[in-house]
Amino acid sequence: MSLLKLEALSKKFGDHWALKEIDFSIDEGEIVGLVGPNGAGKTTLFNLIACRHRPTSGRVLFANEETTLCKPHKIQKLGISRTFQSSRPFAKMSTLDNVVVGRVFGGEFHLFAQSTDIDSARQLLELVGLAHKEQTPAGDLTLSEQRRLDLARALATQPRLLLLDEVVAGFSPVAVKQAVDLVRRVRQRGVTLFIVDHFLSLSLRVSDRLLALDHGEKVAEGRPQEVMRNREVIRAYLGTRYEDE
Amino acid sequence: MQVARAAPVLGLVFLLLLPVFARYNDYVLQVFTHALLLATLALAWNILGVSGSISLGHAAFFGAGAYTSALLSLDLGVSPWATIPLGGVLAAGIAAIMGLFCLRLRGAYFALATLAFVEIPKVITDNWDGLTRGSLGLVGLPGLPSLRLGSYHFDISGSLAGSYYFVLGYGLVLLLLVTLMFRSNLGLALQAIREEEIAAEAVGIQVQRYRLLSLLLSAFFTGITGACYGHLIRYIEPGLVYGLHFSAMPMIFAICGGRFTILGPALAALVLYPVDQFIFHPLLPAGHEFLYGAVIILAILFMPSGVWGQLRKGHFVSIKTGSIE
Repeated sequence: MSLLKLEALSKKFGDHWALKEIDFSIDEGEIVGLVGPNGAGKTTLFNLIACRHRPTSGRVLFANEETTLCKPHKIQKLGISRTFQSSRPFAKMSTLDNVVVGRVFGGEFHLFAQSTDIDSARQLLELVGLAHKEQTPAGDLTLSEQRRLDLARALATQPRLLLLDEVVAGFSPVAVKQAVDLVRRVRQRGVTLFIVDHFLSLSLRVSDRLLALDHGEKVAEGRPQEVMRNREVIRAYLGTRYEDE
Repeated sequence: MQVARAAPVLGLVFLLLLPVFARYNDYVLQVFTHALLLATLALAWNILGVSGSISLGHAAFFGAGAYTSALLSLDLGVSPWATIPLGGVLAAGIAAIMGLFCLRLRGAYFALATLAFVEIPKVITDNWDGLTRGSLGLVGLPGLPSLRLGSYHFDISGSLAGSYYFVLGYGLVLLLLVTLMFRSNLGLALQAIREEEIAAEAVGIQVQRYRLLSLLLSAFFTGITGACYGHLIRYIEPGLVYGLHFSAMPMIFAICGGRFTILGPALAALVLYPVDQFIFHPLLPAGHEFLYGAVIILAILFMPSGVWGQLRKGHFVSIKTGSIE
């Protein structure tokens, strides 16, 4: 059964089609990579699914429910969480508090009560390897730590579908390897993952399937090896000289 | 830090014993009563401030609270204890209207819109002669009645020390409420909104709803403070209670003391206002308020998180992670 279904999804900014007629679906428990060169429409697609933007046409269905026109805080309640291309920590709050925010507002809460469920937030910091930094203001963390914090905060909301936008951009090979393990552990928790990954360093290793975009259009989908052999995908990444030869 | 732990306790002892130290000197008591009043305003202002919005329009709530309570108690003869909360309610009502127009704005745009907004209740109060007696103001407001606890009478309006202890008591109650609020889930949401609005929304926080709620709460307590002020001074006029003094002071104290802390704004009021009155006023009778301009420039340049925020070294309002304030 598909958890997320995109039907003829399009988005136009001014005269420019950022996305054109995208049809795609993701099954529960899958890890799907979203690949494509700069400007392909990857982040736009995420913003449509996460309801930051409204599509020009087409529909988004999540768990068989239409979510095309939801508000961002509402889509989170339905079970979609995300991280951001450039991480957005609550900089002056402690690392632990960052995760507690996700834990509190991702679930049921009383506005004037004090959150007591700190342990699960600590466990998530443990999972992403930040337990030793729980008192540090999030703004003082390194880039890769902030990305992991973004991930922990998103997981704290207990999503069914997690959208990861460029989690490993700028990571060292060692950090990428750790991220691969981390993503696998996240899947074991029963979370479906949709991963944007410009340089493919993460998605090639963990994805069950890939969706390739170029100039806002779907150029390929399928198993990673197949997609990477696809002529359109190679052309999008490497240019047209391949065909000249 | 040791200073940061000891200062609030020492400060409280100082404030409790102050009337005795000062030998009930009228001038000293008046200055510190007003300083305490400004401290409560700074605490109330920061309920909104903690969410990242800087208001320059809190005089609208202060004036509305003062006039509501004054008119109800003067014209209808209702006890101030009943009319003061109504002053808070009307202030919150005005905040709701302000929120409708201003809350879609951020940063400097929000601040300027609130600055302009003050003129609306001020002009109405100034010109609705039949109800408010216009720019003549209101004189002879009833003082605050004594509080009775069994056989004990606490006389508030009979002596300056009585007024002083009343404002101190009110300030401590407000401090307790603000502490609970900032440490609650609401406080967590407001800080998250301040730090990263888009991320806050993505984890499920209803940003505009909580911004409005913080504005309403902030206005409610500012209105109550305004109402108390009227009954303590027993004379109000539009230019006084809607004046820039009550808009700018809480902001100055909050920024100097530390907007991201609970105590900082109140501490700054309790230090800066007496310094201004006792030291700078005698030296520079015409220009003593340059002090506020100077400290705010210094704070923004060298201590953006405020003096108290700096002492707390990045330990801002935190729920369970060790440190509060």
